[in-house]
Amino acid sequence: MTEQPPSHRELFIGMLQVALSSFGGGLSAWSQRIVVEQRGWFSNEEFLAGLTVARLFPGPNQINMAVYIGTAFHGLSGALVALAGMLMVPFTLLMLLGVAYFSFHTLPAVDRVLAGVVAAAAGMALSMGFKILDQYWKDPVALLLAAATFVAMEFFHVRLVPVVLIAGPLAMAWDWPRSGRSQNQP
Amino acid sequence: MTLPFLLTGASQSAVLLADLAAVGTASVAAASGAATAECTPTSLTDLGHLLQVLGTFLGLSLFSLGGGNTLLSEYQHISVNQFCWLTSSQFADLYALAEAAPGPSSMLVGLLGLGAAWPEGPWWALLSGYGAELAILLPSTILMVLACLSWSRLKDSPWRVAFERGLGPITLGILFEVGIKILRTADTNAAGLVVSLVVCALMLRTRISPLWFMAFAGLLGGLGVINR
Repeated sequence: MTEQPPSHRELFIGMLQVALSSFGGGLSAWSQRIVVEQRGWFSNEEFLAGLTVARLFPGPNQINMAVYIGTAFHGLSGALVALAGMLMVPFTLLMLLGVAYFSFHTLPAVDRVLAGVVAAAAGMALSMGFKILDQYWKDPVALLLAAATFVAMEFFHVRLVPVVLIAGPLAMAWDWPRSGRSQNQP
Repeated sequence: MTLPFLLTGASQSAVLLADLAAVGTASVAAASGAATAECTPTSLTDLGHLLQVLGTFLGLSLFSLGGGNTLLSEYQHISVNQFCWLTSSQFADLYALAEAAPGPSSMLVGLLGLGAAWPEGPWWALLSGYGAELAILLPSTILMVLACLSWSRLKDSPWRVAFERGLGPITLGILFEVGIKILRTADTNAAGLVVSLVVCALMLRTRISPLWFMAFAGLLGGLGVINR
């Protein structure tokens, strides 16, 4: 971290700037550009370490990254200020869009356009699994676990919470770091 | 002027929603082969309804693995099948809106909260929308703060290594299920399905902004090529 830690106000404005710059996409790239290159709040290594934590823990990655940035300087209050800065404008816009949707979505023209947009969005959702498939491709145990999770949810309609609570500890026990991998024993 | 208009709009859409709900659940049941009964909302006061929204999302927050997208099919189940906040096609619309709008796409939760309370009028709906987003973010934010403060100790802990390695494949399986579920929820015609598959391939092979795909597909929808 550089000599002068940002105040709460500067944190808020910085994250607001990230949110406004990223209209149209590329939130994570903008966050790095503004926080590391323009404002010098973090070194590149510190920023990347933050991304690791943000991806690891529950919650949306970009939101967690804002929490990481805020926490680094002011703990919980910094996290809340950074979150507010990042979300306030986009979220309010989205709420207005939502109000417009519920007011007008029954108009045939609106519904027709939305049917098209929905088809594209479904394609984006479908790509999410394929995107991270590469990193598990050479690991048969991981693929088996992924397949079992998929089958349980898709064909046996097991809900998300029981899946994570049952499969999570089993997988963690299997993957517990040890020198020689022997039997599955936590 | 605007407020009465919005309110009448709300009551009209509530009637329409009731009609659509029957159709929506029927088509979902047919598509999945699951015996989903007709969705009957629990009758609650306005405040009770709000608390239902808040409690639901507070409880789900810590299960948002893999950047939050793992929760999508749970959201669909809760808002369409369990609590009857939305019809299936409304859910698909809101998902698409959240993807298209600027900002993190996880803000979908705010739209679900908005939809849950829409029959109670736009002001309740906005309260419910902001509340839903706060509820889904609060627990994961607190955990993230704790994680940041103790990261130097956590970094090399066996718990961290096991969590990262073990939960990764589970996330992978969930994301595939989510993809299939959203595709089924979209429930478009053959042209729409082709567009979905092409978009999926382009998302993986190119770095074109997804906004272009949505704009183009929206145009196809407007022209009547894609419908549902």
